[in-house]
Amino acid sequence: MNIAIELSDLTKDFGNIRALNHLNLKIETGDIFGLIGPNGAGKTTALRVISTLLLPTSGSVRVFNLDAVHESAEIRKIITYLPEEAGIYRNLSGWEYLEFMAKFSAKNKDQLHETVKEAAEICGLGERLKSRAKTYSKGMKRRLLVARALMTRPKLSILDEPTSGLDVLYSYHVREIIKRYVKEYGVTVLLSSHNMLEVEHLCDHVALVNKGQIVTEGKPQDLKDKFGSQNLEEVFAKVVGFA
Amino acid sequence: MLKGFGNFLLKELKELIRDPKILLGMIVVPLIMFPVLGGIMSFSMQSAQESASKTTMLVLNHDTGVNSTEFIAFLNSSIRVFPINASTIDEVVPMLPDYNATEIIEIPANFTQNVTAKTVVYVKFYSVYTGAGLLEGIGSSIIDAIVVQFNRDIAPDILVPQKSAIVKGKIIEGVDPRMLANLMISQAIAMPITMMILLSYSMQIAATSVAMEKEEKTLETLLTLPMDRFAILAGKLSGSIIIAGVGVIAYMIGFNFYLGSFSSAIPSGAALDLEALGLVPSLLGYLLLGISLFVALLSALALAVIISSFAEDVRGAQSVVGYIYPFVFIPSLLLMYLDVNALPLPIKIIIYAIPYSHPIIAAKAVTMGDYLTVGLGIAYVAAFTLVVMYVASRLFATEKILTAKLKFKGLRRAKKGTTEEFQ
Repeated sequence: MNIAIELSDLTKDFGNIRALNHLNLKIETGDIFGLIGPNGAGKTTALRVISTLLLPTSGSVRVFNLDAVHESAEIRKIITYLPEEAGIYRNLSGWEYLEFMAKFSAKNKDQLHETVKEAAEICGLGERLKSRAKTYSKGMKRRLLVARALMTRPKLSILDEPTSGLDVLYSYHVREIIKRYVKEYGVTVLLSSHNMLEVEHLCDHVALVNKGQIVTEGKPQDLKDKFGSQNLEEVFAKVVGFA
Repeated sequence: MLKGFGNFLLKELKELIRDPKILLGMIVVPLIMFPVLGGIMSFSMQSAQESASKTTMLVLNHDTGVNSTEFIAFLNSSIRVFPINASTIDEVVPMLPDYNATEIIEIPANFTQNVTAKTVVYVKFYSVYTGAGLLEGIGSSIIDAIVVQFNRDIAPDILVPQKSAIVKGKIIEGVDPRMLANLMISQAIAMPITMMILLSYSMQIAATSVAMEKEEKTLETLLTLPMDRFAILAGKLSGSIIIAGVGVIAYMIGFNFYLGSFSSAIPSGAALDLEALGLVPSLLGYLLLGISLFVALLSALALAVIISSFAEDVRGAQSVVGYIYPFVFIPSLLLMYLDVNALPLPIKIIIYAIPYSHPIIAAKAVTMGDYLTVGLGIAYVAAFTLVVMYVASRLFATEKILTAKLKFKGLRRAKKGTTEEFQ
């Protein structure tokens, strides 16, 4: 089993508040792994620590066997991170934004062009890519950002609410693209979502997070069987004692 | 009355007044700034008057008659006068520092004879030019006042002053120091004004660009990219310097046109060559001035980046950066009117401690060939800049750039100085 992410006893405090409480988790390479939980459960904090934005208070984080504290620069070479509330530079066009992002990983001009072309296909913005980002709707921005996160075919893509702000059709489109990238390019995806249906259909494995701890994890079907539930929403309600 | 206007206005006022950043920036700071500026102006004028009253003049008298003795006594009633026993003016000039004097009068041998005959007598006045500031040339004004008074008492237009300047110990015949002061006004006020505009403008750009990354939610993505965190800081600083530099060039072109109007006041026969007089900086001087300006600019930008990192949005960043402005404006205004060496020691120390004073001090120093002062200033500002840059780079290297926030509530910082965002 090749491990993409390993969290050991991970704790993150913000002043007196404990956001992550001795979290343990292993994610396999090539997996689509979903973190689900209510607001304030610690999902985003966990994603931020894994993406090297925040330092752990204690415990360890390893991404493809690289230490998130001491080898953060190396980790940033193999991951992409899509924050839940990410923005785009207002005065750059969509195409310029993708080029700017692609330049950090492209080795030559041909690769740069191919990468941006691929992102253009993923986001499906067509001619609108020539317009400045400040003229984009929320959905268009999100499509561009998802394309940015996938276009470089990273070893690990961390997506915080990837379909947030997208309509039903584009949410479906994004989910299909994520599946295709994992299958074709071996990208490992770690995502968080409030949308349990989305997680159920998309993820190979899920972990339910509550109060900074993982309360249960497994394959969506296994969890539903284990808790005798119709869907993951029900599983979650039972696990946290809400139902 | 417009429907809903009153209600809406009340809401607006509540929102604005309850925003401590606006309260500080719009009300408290001006309330402090203007008294401080008033104090500076008053202090400047007082110092100028004091220096005028302390004007010391050396007298080289070639006349042995009674009228020259009377004239010296007349001078002594307004300023301090020291008769010097010498035969030529060249012997007197080196004595100026010994008497702490800035003026020399050379009374011709025919003084008494001409005054008695009520015919014109030419008296030579020499004034030291130091390039100290806008109030330089006050000595020349005193001479004018004395001559007018003497002519009124004896006979109109008998005494005709012939003024010359002493620059760096050399006599520049026929050049009135006030004329020089008018010409050099560009150096006396252009640099402080340029500094004020350049620093405040570029600090706003730097602060806005960092805050924009937060406000537009692009910072998080940026910090996870495979790039050196210091490159982000360097990019922000360089971008601000380039944009501010372009703005300053445009400003200086316009300002030079404005300064052109001063040269029209110079008599056409004066044929002043500032370069020949040594009043234009040398190539080395310009280079040192450029370095001094650059390090000061860099330190101001780095400071703006650090401070604005604690703001949550653009408006907050612009407000917090405003707290640095007094440290730019006060030395600029003070040094526009006064020479730093003429200030009392405690004020002198404060002015030297403020990094943004040094390019202004350097502008005057390079003109007078004082490269040591410029060099020391550069070393000090560079050291200050290194410290600020180090703090800024540490800020960008850690999660603080993402999580740090200033709390303004009650004008105090939050319990631990920072708060953190989490979900």
